[in-house]
Order: sequence, then structure tokens, then C-alpha cells
Amino acid sequence: MVETGGGQLTRVGRRGREWLERHALAVVGALTAALLVVFFFYPVFTVLLEAVRTPMGWTGELFVALFRSEFYFGWFATLVTAPGTAVADAGAWLAALLADPIDAIPAVTPGTMGLFVFTAVQALLSTVASVVLGVPAAYILARYEFRGRETIRSLTALPFVMPSIVVAIGFVATFGRTGVLNEILVAVGVDRLGVMYTLELIVLAHAFYNAPLVARVTTAAWESVDASLVETARSLGARPQRSFVDVVAPQLVPAVLTGALLTFVFTFLTFPIVLTLGGFQLSTVEVWVYHEVQQLDYGEAAALAVLETVVSLGLTYAYLRYEAAQRRVQRAVRPRDRRRFRAATPLARVAIAGYAAVAAVVFLLPMGSMVLASLTDASGPTLAHYAFLVQRQTEAFAFQVQPFAAVLNSLLFAAGTLVLAVPMGVAVAVLSTRGGRGRRLLEAAAMAPFAVSGIVVGLGLLRGLVFGVSVAGHRLQVTGALAIVAAHAVAAYPFVTRNVSPMLARIDPQVVESARSLGASRIRALLHVELPLVVSGVVAGAAFAFAISMGEFDATVILATGGDYYTMPVAIERYTGRQLGPATAMGSILLGVTAVSFVVIDRVGGVFDRG
Amino acid sequence: MVEVTLEGVSKAYGTTDALVDVSLEIRDGEFFTLVGPSGCGKTTTLRLLAGFEEPTAGTIRFGGDDVAGVPPEDRDVGIVFQNYALFPTMTVAENVAYGLRFREPPGGGSTEDRVSELLDLVDLTGMGDRDPDALSGGQRQRVALARALAPGPSVLLLDEPMSALDARLRERLRVQVTEIQETLDITTVYVTHDQAEALAISDRVAVVNDGRIEQVADPETVYRQPATRFVAGFVGDNNLLDGEIVGRDPLTVAVDGQRLVLPAGVDAAVGDRVTVCLRPEALSVGGGPSRFEVEVEHVEFLGDAYRLHCTWQGRSLLVKSGSPASGTVTVGVEPGAIHVLDAAGD
Repeated sequence: MVETGGGQLTRVGRRGREWLERHALAVVGALTAALLVVFFFYPVFTVLLEAVRTPMGWTGELFVALFRSEFYFGWFATLVTAPGTAVADAGAWLAALLADPIDAIPAVTPGTMGLFVFTAVQALLSTVASVVLGVPAAYILARYEFRGRETIRSLTALPFVMPSIVVAIGFVATFGRTGVLNEILVAVGVDRLGVMYTLELIVLAHAFYNAPLVARVTTAAWESVDASLVETARSLGARPQRSFVDVVAPQLVPAVLTGALLTFVFTFLTFPIVLTLGGFQLSTVEVWVYHEVQQLDYGEAAALAVLETVVSLGLTYAYLRYEAAQRRVQRAVRPRDRRRFRAATPLARVAIAGYAAVAAVVFLLPMGSMVLASLTDASGPTLAHYAFLVQRQTEAFAFQVQPFAAVLNSLLFAAGTLVLAVPMGVAVAVLSTRGGRGRRLLEAAAMAPFAVSGIVVGLGLLRGLVFGVSVAGHRLQVTGALAIVAAHAVAAYPFVTRNVSPMLARIDPQVVESARSLGASRIRALLHVELPLVVSGVVAGAAFAFAISMGEFDATVILATGGDYYTMPVAIERYTGRQLGPATAMGSILLGVTAVSFVVIDRVGGVFDRG
Repeated sequence: MVEVTLEGVSKAYGTTDALVDVSLEIRDGEFFTLVGPSGCGKTTTLRLLAGFEEPTAGTIRFGGDDVAGVPPEDRDVGIVFQNYALFPTMTVAENVAYGLRFREPPGGGSTEDRVSELLDLVDLTGMGDRDPDALSGGQRQRVALARALAPGPSVLLLDEPMSALDARLRERLRVQVTEIQETLDITTVYVTHDQAEALAISDRVAVVNDGRIEQVADPETVYRQPATRFVAGFVGDNNLLDGEIVGRDPLTVAVDGQRLVLPAGVDAAVGDRVTVCLRPEALSVGGGPSRFEVEVEHVEFLGDAYRLHCTWQGRSLLVKSGSPASGTVTVGVEPGAIHVLDAAGD
């Protein structure tokens, strides 16, 4: 068989191939790890370094300054700088509270309570609003049977793929000065309402985004309550309300808390919604980091970003600990019968109809208004706003954003994200379900991007690779475009992993063992047997990655600063308040992309929730 | 304790009938079993008794009182489900004590005393602080039993309580359940699809099929004198042969030309079409006046006996035998071991 002469070479080649086949998993793992280090860990490290190092040397001064600043910590900063005054102030405030409770409650703004405290308080209020709006939805979805129930139930996963900039522009189109709500008010002869740039609107927008999430986890918990549990309680003497309190409620509480904790993390890290709806008076930590980056005050931005990341990592850790401590929600052996809506009591029907009306205003109106605004102008229905997006503008605009370039950039970056994120996500899924030693560590490291905000990654990429890094005497620099793709890929690949991992884990190991015993190498068994079985997970992950890249705002807006790499979400933010038409047209396109991705993910049975 | 009666009870879900005109009298302190294939209506009957469903027609009485419209919490029944249905957020003791939140402990003692009394009763002494998750299947089911019994209900309802357990455990628990039931003398309705289990534990058995009661009797009668072809086929192994009465004194039936002498006292006339039930153990190799030449196809060793799968005139015939056999053998049957079903009667 072996030819003379060329035999030597063939043997070397074959040995190389054999080595590669045996170590393919390790090679893939090393490549993925390298990408993660360059595109995620190194940038985050850069930000950390920026916060603790000055040209003069190492310092904790930036952090000390933060904690002593009333601008950031309000009363808590006084507690550090002038404890006596702080205690006296607290006493005076308590006295005022007793005298006139309503009057004593301070206005919830960064000015009165400090930026950091305001960020936490608005997150708390948003969490309460999300729970208040989400739990009744869970009750209706879990306990009533009506047409469209399944559809609404699956739509509660929509926020997982919907860009928050779309929510923001939807709320502007609804509640803005010339928004749908005010047009209606004017038409019926009432004065325009000035709800823009208020805390209430921000909280409502956060509820739009997070109430479905609360509803989703609560519905799942509610549906998992077995009928026999309630029946047993009844036969032991409990009235229906009592059996709810004793048996059903204890199983719902952990789910509601899980949803609330997640909502708090999300709204603590909120960015585009507050940037768009908050105006100058209301800004959160993320918005302020962005502001400082624009002011080129990188040191303080970095310190603030580090502090924020510590809080969000802590909260995420608390969330994971809490979730792990809960019993796994098991499917009910015998689910309880849902009540027919028509058979409900009149009171219940009125309550449900009332909730449906509120839900329509909160969820449907913003999206409807956005699409409506994109299709109309002062003179009536028009497609001009969409036409504007595909025109190749010859002269630069006043604010330097060409819509066509934004559309093109978005598509190019999304394509690049797919190329990077899908292999990375699949590789991490394979290694975390099949790999040997260090699997746990890899899993944790690979999921870290979930808990670090895009602003931090963007800032780190900007200050490191984009501005240039010296490696062994060579100056290494990447373009803003590559950095944006990298940031998108880092944000997107965990979703690929999350969709592929559970499917890989479900494959019977004996199937792989059969392939191995028939002569397939490990990597061939993976390619021939396992991956074909998880194609639908890869497709769902790709749809996620595409949607996330199209909608990504946090990192992009930082990396696009001063460059030509703006995308549709960035363009929307820049148009908002100046030109509602193009902004809503882009918002509608992103909504369309979101919808398509959602349908793809839903159809192939993708995983929306943590799993 | 109380007797439970159903009078002409029917239950329909939409257009499907789950129960049709069921009448039963369950005696005070009796261990009464509803047995039948899945979907036959036995669980529906139990749910009607518990008050989770209301009958479409008919009356249910507890101790003579019509319970129509009485909600589950006021029926004074204890129920045990197949999947245990332990409250996962409560400890074992809290589970057992749950019913005592609504009713005084029987005997006037404290809740704690009642809980430990019941944990003793089901052999779970000292396990009160455990989490239900930390228990085995058999232990969980005993907690569920203790919980159902704690408030001292007048009726105990058991819905396939042992189906989720393995065979060995099931037999042990079955003995325990019957002992407890005898001690407490509580009216008990037990639902199972396992006919052997039904025969083993019940005072009386109702065989249910397709929403109707086929037979109500003590286990021996159900086994030896099945009332219908369904009961004969469902309870234990049986050979059912259709034939025609061909002679009197002695009463003789012909099955495909083979004559069998029937026991005295069977009410049939010459020319009647009847079904003959021959239990495998009634057929013995070599014995009995009525004989079959059968071909042994396959032999199963059962431990205490052999089951011979035979063919006779193109039919399959089961024979239980003390020794293995092969080839062509002659099996015979005593007239007294034959049970006759009226062919038109089932």
C-alpha cells in the first residue's frame, strides 16, 4: 500500500492528521479560549487597569473619590466624608418623615440621591412594576383557557431577542411630544401631556421589557403545580383560597423572586432606555459612563464601570446561588384544568378585561405607535422614511449619520458576528458537555459575558485594541469594525451555547460509544453523529446571534464614537428627538428582524430561558 | 365510619360517558376495590366520592346523607394519590399535620401527639423533620397515607397508591395498608388496575369496564364465578371456549366436537350457546373425565409450577402443571372446576 519515496511524506501527513483528530477538541478549545481572552477578558482587564493605574503608578484614588462624591453616592458619601453631618441629616429627615410622610419622601433623581443610589432605586421601582404587571399575566396564562393563550405564552420570550433601543423608540413614538398619545389628546381637545424625561416613563419602559420575563417564569411554576396537591389540600379541609395560600403560593414565590432578581440586574445595567427617555436630569451609571467616555474622561469612566461590574457580578452570583438552591421545577404529572374564560365569574372577567386593557397600552401601543409613525408624516401615509434609509446620501447630514450606511453596517456586523459566534458557541457547548478536566471552570469563564455590560467590553476594546497595544515591540491595532464584531460575538455566543448544550447533554452517550467502537475518532463521532443531532439548536443559536448583533447598542455606541461604524440602533438614538420618521422606520425594521429571529427560534424549539 | 352508596350515578364529559348508571353499596368499614383497565371509569368514581367532580346524574350518599354540592373540604374523606402529592414546601410532620389545621385531632390530643401517633402507625417514627424529597418512594407513600388518616376521616380513598413502587415494595406496603385498615376499621375505597392486587387485599371487588360495573363480589367469587366474559378474561388467566349444550344428565357441552361434562346445577337447556371458562389450574395432565389432546408449544417455568402454552384444534390453551411437558399430551378437567357463562348474558 505504502508507496516508496512519497511514503515518508504521506506517513508524516497521516501522523499529523491523526494527531489532529485525537486532539481536535483540545485545539478547538484553545482557539475559543484565545478568542475569549483577546475579545473579552483582555478588554475587561484593560478597564480595570485604567481604573487603578495612572502614569504616576498604582492608585485606589479614583475609587476613593467615587465613594466620597455626593454626586455619585449622595447621603452615603456624606457618611464617609462627614459622618456627623450625615447622622444629623438623617435625624432631621426622620423627624420630617414623622411630621409629614408624603412631603419627606425625596424626589427620585440622581441630583437628590446620587447617581449610583438613583440607579439602584430606579431598578427597584422597575422591578416592582415588572412584578405587578407580570404576575397577573402569569395567573391568566396558567389558570385560564382562551384562544391565543399558547401564542401569548410564547410571546413572553420576545424580550430575550428584542433590542431595548426598539422599546425606547417605541415609547418615544407613543409618549413623546408629538407621539400618538398626545395626538389623541389634542384631537379630543386636551392639552399635551409632558411625560417624556420622567422617572415614571422609564419605569414603564423597563416594565415593558421585564414584566414578560417575570410572567414567563411564574407561569411555568404555576403550571407545574400538580392537580393532586391542591385536591389533597382540599380533601384535608382547606377552602380553595386557603389551598392556594398553603400549596400553590409557596411554589410561586421562588419563581417570582427569580424573575425579580433578574429584572433588578437588567434594570440596574439599563442603558439605551434611560439614555433615550431620561433626558439630562435622569441618568444611570451606564449612561454616565458613556457620557464620560464622550468627554474623554476615561479614568473616571473606568472606575465607575468597574464598580458597576462588581455590583452586577455580585447580583448575578446571588441570582445563580438562589436559583441553584431552588428545587428544579418538575412538570406536573397531572396538570390542573384551566378554567374556560367564559365560565369565569363576572368579577374575574372584569378584572381580566381590565388587565388586558392595561397590557395593551403598555405592550401593544408602543410597538403600534412606532410602526404607525414610521409609515406617516404630517401629510398622511408615506413610505418616505423607509425610502430615506436606502438612499445613498451624497452630502453628509448635520449630525453625521447616514441611514443607508447604518443599515449596511448592521448587516455586515451581523454577518461577521454569525461567523465568529456560532463556532465559538458550539465549541464551548461541546467542551462543557464533553470535555474532561477543567470543564466547570471553562463553563463559568465562558458564561461571564452574560454578567458584564456591553459598555465595559466596548470601553475595554476601545482603550486597548482600537487605540493600539504594544506586543513585543510591535504595535497591534484593530479597526473599530472588527472590534464591534468582536463585541457582538462575545455578547452573542453564550446564546448559541445555551441552545446547543442541553441538546448535546441529552444525546445518549451509547450512541457516541457505538460510533467510536465502529472506528470513528472522537472528532469524527462529533461531526458525524452528535452535531447532526443538534442542528436545530445551532439554528436557534444563530438566530439569536443575528438578532443580538442587529440590536446591540451598548458596546457599539462606544466603539462608534467619532468613527463611521454606527449601526441602526446607534442611528436610532441619534435621530431620536430630531427626526422621528427615520428613527421609527429603523425601529420597525429591527422589530421585523426581532420577529423573524423569534419565529425561527420558536419553531426549532430553541431555549429562551436559562437552561 | 360510614357506609357509602351510589345510586344510578352517571358522569359525562361533553359527549363522552365516563360512568353509566353505576350503583354500589360500600359497607361500613369495608375494604372495597374498584378494578379495571385504564380509562374504565374507576378513578372518575373516586373523584366523585372525593367531591372533585359532581355526577351528571344519580345520587351519592355518605351514611345516608346526599353529598351533592358538598365541597371536598367538607366531605370528611382522606385521599392518597399515586404520585404521593406530598406538599414539597413542608416537612413530613407538617404534611401529616396539615389536615389538623382544619379539624380537631381525633381523640382530643394535641396535633404533635396525633402526628407522631400516625408516623408510628406507618413505621416512620422520628422522620417528622425530614424533607419529602429526602424519602424513598415507599416512605413517601406512607407519609401520604398518614396525612390522609390524621384528621380521622370517615372514608379513605386510595387512587392506585402503589403503582409507582417496585413489586417487592408493593407487596410489603399492601400488607401494611390492609393491616392499618383493619385496625382503624375505616371504610376504604381502593382503585387499581392490578387484578391480582385487588384479589389480594379486598373484602369486596367491583370490576369496572367502559364506565359500567361488570360484577361486585368477594374476591373468591370474582375469580371462581366471573359474571361476565370480561371479568373472566380480566381477572387471572383463563381459557374461554364457546360451545353449545348438547345433552342433559349429565349436562354436556360440545366445543368444536369435544364434549365436556358440566357441573350439576348449571341452568341451561339443550341448544343454548354458552361460554365455558377453564382456569389453567383446572386442567391437569392426565386427569379428569373430559379430556383434550393438546400440543405443547412452549413451557414457562413460574417457580412453583409450569405454564404450558398449548394448542388445541387451532386454539391456544393455557395449562398450569406441576411438571414440564412436551409434544402431545392429554389434559383433563373435573366438572366442578368448570364455570359456565351464558353466552347471551354478557
